[in-house]
Amino acid sequence: MKFLCVECDQPMALRETLGPDNGSLSVIFECPSCGKETAMLTNHMETQMIHSLGVKVGGRNEPAAPMETIRDNLDGFEVVESAEPAEEPAPHSPEWYAQKMGGSPSAQPVGEGPGCPFSGMIAPQIEAASELTWTAEAQARMERIPSFIRPMVQKGIEDVARAEGTTHIDESVLERVRGQMGM
Amino acid sequence: MKSYHDITHDGGSDVAGQVSDRDRKLAENLAGVRHLVAVMSGKGGVGKSAMTVNLATEMAMRGLRTGIVDADINGASVVRMTGVRRTLPVSGELGVRPPLSDAGVRVMSIDLFLPDGMPVKWAAPSQEHAYTWRGMAEVNAVREMLADTDWGELDVLFVDLPPGTDKLPNLHDIIARVSAAVVVSIPSPASQYVVRKSVKLAREALADRPIGLVENMASFECSECGHVHALYTSDGLDMPGTVSLGEVPFDPDFGALLDAGHAHRALSDRGPAARGVSSVVDHLLTLLESVDQPVVR
Repeated sequence: MKFLCVECDQPMALRETLGPDNGSLSVIFECPSCGKETAMLTNHMETQMIHSLGVKVGGRNEPAAPMETIRDNLDGFEVVESAEPAEEPAPHSPEWYAQKMGGSPSAQPVGEGPGCPFSGMIAPQIEAASELTWTAEAQARMERIPSFIRPMVQKGIEDVARAEGTTHIDESVLERVRGQMGM
Repeated sequence: MKSYHDITHDGGSDVAGQVSDRDRKLAENLAGVRHLVAVMSGKGGVGKSAMTVNLATEMAMRGLRTGIVDADINGASVVRMTGVRRTLPVSGELGVRPPLSDAGVRVMSIDLFLPDGMPVKWAAPSQEHAYTWRGMAEVNAVREMLADTDWGELDVLFVDLPPGTDKLPNLHDIIARVSAAVVVSIPSPASQYVVRKSVKLAREALADRPIGLVENMASFECSECGHVHALYTSDGLDMPGTVSLGEVPFDPDFGALLDAGHAHRALSDRGPAARGVSSVVDHLLTLLESVDQPVVR
């Protein structure tokens, strides 16, 4: 699917993806010539169709994990991860943070159901709420958190930032959030 | 005003690039597989999965390296027939390591990822109108099982296709270099009517690659008197565009062992069905030798 700015006769570029929210994605495109924006809003069937194809809106920053679509979508999915013992993540590292939040840096634990059915659909980029900005370092640390819990972690951080009256999220905010959450 | 084809990119998602990347990964992962053989029919209940397990097991017993992908997402039975149900697959660096049957057949199936007896259900915010995307999820699951399994070096990888005349063309869309197809049919005219349609579509997809035909449940040999009874009144299979690989008689004892996950034992007994399978394998191996281009190499 492609979008064209009729006025400029120019292909529009993807600016950002938001959601999924109750099964709907909002994909915003922008005309590189006039700056005009348009949003494509998907219903739950269209959203699921994209997900079922195993592609990511916004592109991929890293290769797909083995059995990614099955892993993310199959109700009751379970698999034994490699027998080699995983290295314990350093305290307060993003991986350690992810584990504390119930996730695993590389894979879903045995016996748990799938994550958010749409968690793997959007490229792992930080979708900041409109009034908040993230530093590149903070974004990079967030991107190391498994995609299926990243939205939850991000929401927690942004809630804390708002409560503090902060609009700029950097690594110091992430550290403070950990402290406040008793981690 | 520009049309779709005037614009060379999709604005940023690079979906075409993502599809191309995963196709490359699939080809790389199957690089050690000499022949990819689809087992198909079009008609349900003719014994495709049993035939797949028998062919892979018989070849493994002869020292060949074989594997099976159970592409029948909603009717997966290969895991049960190969006896690997209780062996959860392990995820490693090169993908998910497939469990081995007692004959050494590498098995990958959606059933391996589910608790025993749990049907396939795809998670979604709503199951309403799920028919719009369920088929895509199933095809993608088959692609992932092919691409993300650590197959290693194999002589033959069998793909057990579900019923439906469109299933071989779907597989061909995922991986074009299928070496050959094995079509399974029973002699019933109703079955042949449907299977002929499948063969026509398979022929279009496979072009000049061979399609072998197995006549399953063709007869029954009485264990008391040794008399062979025909199970159907037809004069055998009439399937243009295929090469006969032989027939396998109905054998309840053989079937019971297979149902219990003992394909290796069933074939070792060398009863009428086992002898039929052995003959089919002889012909199939000859057929595969005639394929100039191995699946991926």
